[in-house]
Amino acid sequence: MPAKDISRRQFLGTAAALGVIAVVRPLAPAEAAMMPSAVGRDPQWFQGGRLRYRRDGMAKVTGSKVFSLDMRARDVEGWPDRQSHAMTLHLPRADRVWQALDLSVLGDALQPDVLIDDARLAADGIEMQEADFYGRFFAVRGQVPGMMGQPAALAIWHDYERFRAARKLLQFNDAIWVWGDEAPQPPRKSYGGAQFVRIAGPDPRGADEFSPMKNYIIWPEETDRDIKWPDDDHPVFGQARRHAAQLHAEFATPPAGMQVFARHYSSQSVDPAAMEPENGLAWYDPAAGALNVIGATQSPYTVAEHLLAMVKASRFALNKLDFVTGYTVGYGQKEHQPFPYYVAVAGLYAQGNPVRLVLDRWQHFQFALKRHPFETDMTISVDADGVFQGFACEMIGDGGGVMNFSPSVGTVAVTAAQSIYYFPKSDLKCEVRPSVNVTAGSMRGYGTLQSMAATEMLVDEIATETGRDAIALRRINVLKSGMKNTQGAVPSGHLRIDEILALAENDPLWTNRAARKAEYEAANPGTLYGVGFAAVQKDFGTGAEAAIVQIEITPQGRLQMRHVSAEIGCGSTTAQLLVVQPWLGRPADDVEFSVMHWPQMPVHTQDQPYSTPQEEENRLAQDPAWVPRITSPRSASNSAYYFTHATQQAAQLLLRLGLWDAALSIWSGGGDGGQALAEPLELSDARWFEGRLTARSMEPLSLERLAERAHQMGLVTGVCVHTFNRWAWAEADFNVNGQTFRAPVDALSVRYGDGAPPDRKAAMTAGGYAFIPRLRVLYPPVQRNNAGTVYYAPCATMVEMSVATGSGEARLLSHKSWLECGTQIVPELVSGQMQGGIAMGIGHALYEDLPLGPEGPGNGKWGLSRYLLPRAADVAVWTQTGHVLPALSEQDPPKGMAEVVMIPVVAACGNAIAHATGKRLYRTPFTPERIRELL
Amino acid sequence: MADRITFEATVNGQKVGPLDIPADLMLTELLHEYLGLTGTRVACGQGVCRACSVLIDDGVAGSAAALTPLPACVTGAAYASGKSIRTIEGMAGDDGQGNPVPSAIQQAFLDHFSFQCSFCTPGFVISAQALVERLERAPVPRDQVEDTVLAAMNENICRCTGYVRYLGAVRDVVLNTPGLTTGDPEPAVTAAAGPAAGGRG
Repeated sequence: MPAKDISRRQFLGTAAALGVIAVVRPLAPAEAAMMPSAVGRDPQWFQGGRLRYRRDGMAKVTGSKVFSLDMRARDVEGWPDRQSHAMTLHLPRADRVWQALDLSVLGDALQPDVLIDDARLAADGIEMQEADFYGRFFAVRGQVPGMMGQPAALAIWHDYERFRAARKLLQFNDAIWVWGDEAPQPPRKSYGGAQFVRIAGPDPRGADEFSPMKNYIIWPEETDRDIKWPDDDHPVFGQARRHAAQLHAEFATPPAGMQVFARHYSSQSVDPAAMEPENGLAWYDPAAGALNVIGATQSPYTVAEHLLAMVKASRFALNKLDFVTGYTVGYGQKEHQPFPYYVAVAGLYAQGNPVRLVLDRWQHFQFALKRHPFETDMTISVDADGVFQGFACEMIGDGGGVMNFSPSVGTVAVTAAQSIYYFPKSDLKCEVRPSVNVTAGSMRGYGTLQSMAATEMLVDEIATETGRDAIALRRINVLKSGMKNTQGAVPSGHLRIDEILALAENDPLWTNRAARKAEYEAANPGTLYGVGFAAVQKDFGTGAEAAIVQIEITPQGRLQMRHVSAEIGCGSTTAQLLVVQPWLGRPADDVEFSVMHWPQMPVHTQDQPYSTPQEEENRLAQDPAWVPRITSPRSASNSAYYFTHATQQAAQLLLRLGLWDAALSIWSGGGDGGQALAEPLELSDARWFEGRLTARSMEPLSLERLAERAHQMGLVTGVCVHTFNRWAWAEADFNVNGQTFRAPVDALSVRYGDGAPPDRKAAMTAGGYAFIPRLRVLYPPVQRNNAGTVYYAPCATMVEMSVATGSGEARLLSHKSWLECGTQIVPELVSGQMQGGIAMGIGHALYEDLPLGPEGPGNGKWGLSRYLLPRAADVAVWTQTGHVLPALSEQDPPKGMAEVVMIPVVAACGNAIAHATGKRLYRTPFTPERIRELL
Repeated sequence: MADRITFEATVNGQKVGPLDIPADLMLTELLHEYLGLTGTRVACGQGVCRACSVLIDDGVAGSAAALTPLPACVTGAAYASGKSIRTIEGMAGDDGQGNPVPSAIQQAFLDHFSFQCSFCTPGFVISAQALVERLERAPVPRDQVEDTVLAAMNENICRCTGYVRYLGAVRDVVLNTPGLTTGDPEPAVTAAAGPAAGGRG
């Protein structure tokens, strides 16, 4: 999931260059200064060595203020109690010239106190930063809007009652828009495309004849209105194009015994429908030149960086920016979205008043980011033994009105299309195009739901057509450990999807499906019965994952953690507290999450992890304080693996560099070498037993005792690490106190205990820490950017469905899922993610659908009464089961699994409908209307 | 300006008002903007997602109204005037030192790891609380508990959890609270429903 995010260093650098005091902070710590914060005050969550409930649980279950939506100006210390209310006005069509906004319906009494539009922003020098990515703030009069739902103005009322009265008159009121003539959209550039061609050598694990990893990715030429794919004799890309052409020629005239299956699939536009709508609160104090924003976003640093640049370039004075982030939820809907900038603009123009801007649900449908619809052509050739030989997939996505993450969603989608299979030859091509529909972004699944659902339906159809069992066919073709993916990269670690297939193949629901179908249909006239199965494996990570974690121990033995992780609902803050246990004997006692201020880790970056040439990176990396990226955006599926690695490295180093030496000192004390003399002790002997450290037969030592000794001796009592992963971990060599070692971190700072000698204390200049310049660093080569991915988590789902022949309604009777995610940090959180992902997948498969064009959500007429979301009765709530494979070992790392769990159920539903009806649907969702047509 | 009314009510046991408010003010607006009670969340604005559920006692003895969760986003404040309103902020008790003492339903939601982002959680707490209080008056046979829980909770939409851990928690409270069910008690159910949590490996 490639993403652009702004590093803290870059942000502060910008702030300093602009002469602005800038602070970015999470809501909870900010609240500590503003109001009693419920999160983190409740000590009950972890007791007696046992996790009782989520750390944020008590605050959440009692309805405390945890979202920015819950905040009002009067809740914030230092803000005025008065508060204004803002409303964005969105154009409901994009087929005519927009001439004017007519607010006469409001009369004199309800006219807004402030009205902001494109002309006013232009006069004041306010522009959206990276407008190609986020879109222009407001539509321009006299032009045809580029997108349905594009804001045309923002209005502010200084009192609630006039605001609400005006809102009632403006809501759903198309008469406020004055339109000119019908007009076509001007031509626009494609959002981009890419092509991935691989021709394997004879060994699936050996050298490729051609692949993106070994050779290159094909990038098309962009024109003003589309893209142009290179010719077969292109000087750079010709070889790959010729390989692709040869594959398609084989599809056209297959050799004897080879069958070729080509199908077209369509997926719909979906609104992730985060229950928390887009919202924010802002206050600009013109006298102080201070802009304060409380917002809901998964990318806070980027917002703050852009706000700095935006305001500094305008007529508004800016001496201080305070950006506070609340708990939020979005499934990607709030990642790099434009909305926080509108909140800030409202603040700038609210005449010194705090102002609140919240989209109602119709506006949220009209403007919040969507999941891309794709048109997909897919071809698989299979030999007489059922072995897949060739694979082609071409996906055309609709990115909507603004580019946002469309280019990377397209490439991630198509490079995941292989699902769980090995293909000796493949040609994968994607393009995402602009349209007048609401902008699509980086939703949960990142395009792979759309591609893998298609693959899993096609494989099921091939099994039917070739007379093979659908799971047996999958097992013939499954990607096994060490085999290469369609990019020519070798997936990390042991691939365990075949274990899942073996379990599913023998499940009674599968083996008895024919008998059960006959029995059910006999007992339920007018109802068909089907069982469907699908299995996928989903990558996790962005190819540039970075994190910072700090853990230290006080002289009294309390473990204190600071972490970049933020909570978006998935429970990452609870999980990160727990993962230090194997090295430190218990979870951290005190913790600060969403930390964005890291004086302890004085690293810097230019944040170009995907595009820096190898030679340039080699040169930059000689600076021990340089890193390719500081931190990554918030996402549910990334935290388990990438953040856990950073947390555990910090814990491990605290044990290795501090507590272990303290223990040795205690065990060997007392003369004659103490109790340790007769036992050879190595760090690998260290074990925690009932919260105490022991090794072989040594006396178990409490953390309090170890801490006291470590501080007395001036050993390492605090560790701060920076980690980086480019489909492999960066490693570096360090020397601490004469001990040279290599660790999978790329920057390290340490804190010495109270008894440290003056030279060590003098080195602690980085926020109380001593930055340890690395001696040597090994960054994964930049060519690994072409890998697409190497980290996968596999998941399969089997569903049992009924289909009413009269109404066409398909309903889930039961379902069962299998997941492999390495070590589960908190099994209850894994299970919850699994259940929630499956429900979201059921919504995509059966219910959720937004039309494109004039009837789409950009027209402002879509709410939750029209947009069907799955409810408890729709997800087989009492009859679903799940199975998580046990980890391979206690060292098996946790894997990101929040995305993969939502995908197989989509294709499983399609395959179950095919089993029930004998006919196939190629367009999601599988609505009653479509099923009726099928029947 | 539009017509106005004088609003007086009891909210979470506290007298509120008299307040001079617009006659068409919705109850969520009253709670959020006039009373500072923001735990009752608005997601749809149409009464279809039930994130904004509250309980309103009409003061009539034996009335079923108090036990029917109402979507406050489409319930006029005027309707609630003169009545007793319970919101999420009134569901937990207090230990006397300012710390919340969760209700049985809230504790079950904690124990079952029922929620994730928690935006919808207040609505689920209210719906489940109403169910428990209805069952106190009219218990159901134990073998009908799952159907009863599903019917009572099906109006509430959640996008994070898939409902399993919410409904499993409510089922456990109903089965394990004396007086809410009829028939022979089965052994207490304590496990969360749904995908099994395998070993930590």
